Amino acid sequence: MTGGLSPRAMDATGASYFDGDVPQPRGVTLALTQGQSLLEITLDDGRVVEWPLTEVRALPDISGRAQYVLRWTGDPLARLVSPNPFLLSALPQAKRRAPPKGRGRLIKWAVAAVAAVALQIFVLVPLLADNMAKFIPIEGEKALGEATFGHIREALDDTGLTPIDVCTAEAGTAALNELVTKISGDRAFRQDVTIAVLDHEMVNAFALPGGFVVLFRGLIEAADGPDEVAAVVAHEIGHVISRDPTRHALRSAGSIGVLGLLFGDFAGGAAVLFLTERLIAAQYSQAAETAADIFAHEALEDASISPAALGRMFENLQGEHGDRSGVAAHFLTHPAMGERIRAARAAVDPDGTYFPSMPDESWAALQNICK
Amino acid sequence: MQVEFVGSRWALFWLALKTGFLTVITLGIYRFWMKTRLRRWYWSAIRPGGHPMEYVGDPIEKLLGFFIAVVILTFYIGIVNLLLMFVSFSVFNSSWVGYLASFAGVIPIWFYARYRARRYVLGRTRWRGVRFGLEKGAWGYAWRALVHWAITLCTLGILWPRMTFWLEKYRTDRTFFGSARLTQGGHWTMLYRAAVPFVLSLIATGALVIWLIWIAPLFPQMEGSVDGFVAGVEGFFTEEGPAAVAASPERLLLGLLCILGLIYGAVHYRWTAKRILANHKTAPGITFHSGLNSARIAMIYVLGVLISYLVLTFSVLLVILMGAAVLGFDSFLAWFGLGSMSAVGDWPRWVAVVLMGVLYLSAFLLWGVLYNTFVTFPIMRHMALTTRLPDHHGLDHISQRARDDFAEAEGFAEALDLGAAI
Repeated sequence: MTGGLSPRAMDATGASYFDGDVPQPRGVTLALTQGQSLLEITLDDGRVVEWPLTEVRALPDISGRAQYVLRWTGDPLARLVSPNPFLLSALPQAKRRAPPKGRGRLIKWAVAAVAAVALQIFVLVPLLADNMAKFIPIEGEKALGEATFGHIREALDDTGLTPIDVCTAEAGTAALNELVTKISGDRAFRQDVTIAVLDHEMVNAFALPGGFVVLFRGLIEAADGPDEVAAVVAHEIGHVISRDPTRHALRSAGSIGVLGLLFGDFAGGAAVLFLTERLIAAQYSQAAETAADIFAHEALEDASISPAALGRMFENLQGEHGDRSGVAAHFLTHPAMGERIRAARAAVDPDGTYFPSMPDESWAALQNICK
Repeated sequence: MQVEFVGSRWALFWLALKTGFLTVITLGIYRFWMKTRLRRWYWSAIRPGGHPMEYVGDPIEKLLGFFIAVVILTFYIGIVNLLLMFVSFSVFNSSWVGYLASFAGVIPIWFYARYRARRYVLGRTRWRGVRFGLEKGAWGYAWRALVHWAITLCTLGILWPRMTFWLEKYRTDRTFFGSARLTQGGHWTMLYRAAVPFVLSLIATGALVIWLIWIAPLFPQMEGSVDGFVAGVEGFFTEEGPAAVAASPERLLLGLLCILGLIYGAVHYRWTAKRILANHKTAPGITFHSGLNSARIAMIYVLGVLISYLVLTFSVLLVILMGAAVLGFDSFLAWFGLGSMSAVGDWPRWVAVVLMGVLYLSAFLLWGVLYNTFVTFPIMRHMALTTRLPDHHGLDHISQRARDDFAEAEGFAEALDLGAAI
């Protein structure tokens, strides 16, 4: 058979053809015709179907090696099922994939999905949360803070078994409460400030809804003196007053569900953990940080504690940890740190007289609050 | 007409492993391709009359469907949840009401999504070149399912078979193969037969409870009441208090037996109900016969989960040991936050976090691969091999049906994590 134009018969034993209209297998005879560029399928009812060889594809991921399912790109429904491996090897483009369709539509919806999530997380949820924070009753705010505090204590524990401890040594607690009273002065807050120390080496502090101010043991250990702790407490009370934590907690409540939706089962848990970490890191807006700083300066000034302590605390942290991130992200990752240190220094009244924020024995007690 | 099943477990294992690996390194994007390829494989393994089923679903349309679902659900989940939490904290001072309400709010969508997903899968399934299909009606299904669940809960589960039957009938009566519509025959009371092992286990459990608390108290010194029994069990296991001495504590093993009986009863009900329902499904000129064996299915579950669990544990241990060998044991522990942070050395923490994430995802996917190999595969095979079509002359009168264009595919089910099953 030298003439390329003469048909070449293929073994069609066990092969069947489905015409895509009725669920009836048709016996076939197969031949390659027209210079072996056309697959001629002759059905047992006399019909003849011709498939151009370059347009015949084998279906992928078929189980079992004994059978191939072939289709022609020009007919979405018809199928040729054949056990003949020689037929497959005669097809030049059997494995070629179908060109993707609807790609433009896909991209449109992908953009829409990203936009919807971004709109949700960056615009709608914050907007709603900020407004809700104004209307949430005191009791509800406190409950929200307690719930968040519980989550954070659980999340920080490495063993995952018990929440990390709250330090409650009597003398230290008394010293801390006295400090809060001193800083608060005669300001009328919406609610009392509740202060707690967590037994963890992280150099950090944060505020929670409902007037909770939480310090880590690591922060007390890293401080050079009681004034620096006082400065941090004053700063956090500043956040409490402006209700930054309430807004923040409500925002997370709205965002967690959306992230869970995006990442599904297995990454959803990770997303929630990530958000808890964000909550501790508490990256408030620059304006919120500045406002809290300004409050701290005033409160410290009124309590006759040098506002420069806040700047010293920042410097202290920066010097101790250099540029390493993560250790005290709350204070260190802020871009305007130098600016904030300068502002703290500028808040010092050159004619004012300042006293230590607490007597030495109280400071010693505070340092031992976790023992 | 018999149904054949071809394809080896190892071929499936490699396909699942390969696609699972791609899913991990594409951060989950490939999961739409993974699902499509696994379905193609399973469908082509099932061969009624020797001719393979075909799955023609497209990963791109699944991805598109997922995006569509995200666009729609993100507003519902974000805004509605936030409002619910606000109300929950403002009015009830706790988060539980909010969680509960937000969960309850998702239930109708859940049923809706399940029906839509089924419609999509059937719409993309063919046999002998002819399409299957499911008519529209997802909201109808969702509200019916809610009402049935309410009735079932109100009757303490006594009318559960009624729910099983009517929901299955709703779906089956809307199912087509080509031009032929399927019909679910029979009556809901026929499913009580399937519940016999569960009911017996329940009676046995009740009898055991009565025996251990009132007739011959397990803790004679405690008073014969539920509170006394609970206190006694607590004392028994913590070895504290006066109740630490129990009368014939080996009787507690009977409790374990009862729990196993209840679990088997639930599996038996589910699969026997499937068998009974299948035997009462018809299409014009077509009947079905299913010989599903619930004990066999239960065995597959037990062995499959056991094997998967062992392999997974072994693999995770191997990775940990290898990690320890490479890094040295101390720094390895410190890396994962188990030791003190000072031992971390020069490795930044985010590397550990990323590695931890990869390990976590890999374990998760390995579980999926093993579950496919040792549970889904044998169950599919058993289902295929036990199904027959005693009467199939009706096939002669069937012709093709129109394509079901379906914009969001199974996006809602995917977004709500319902799509775990193949």
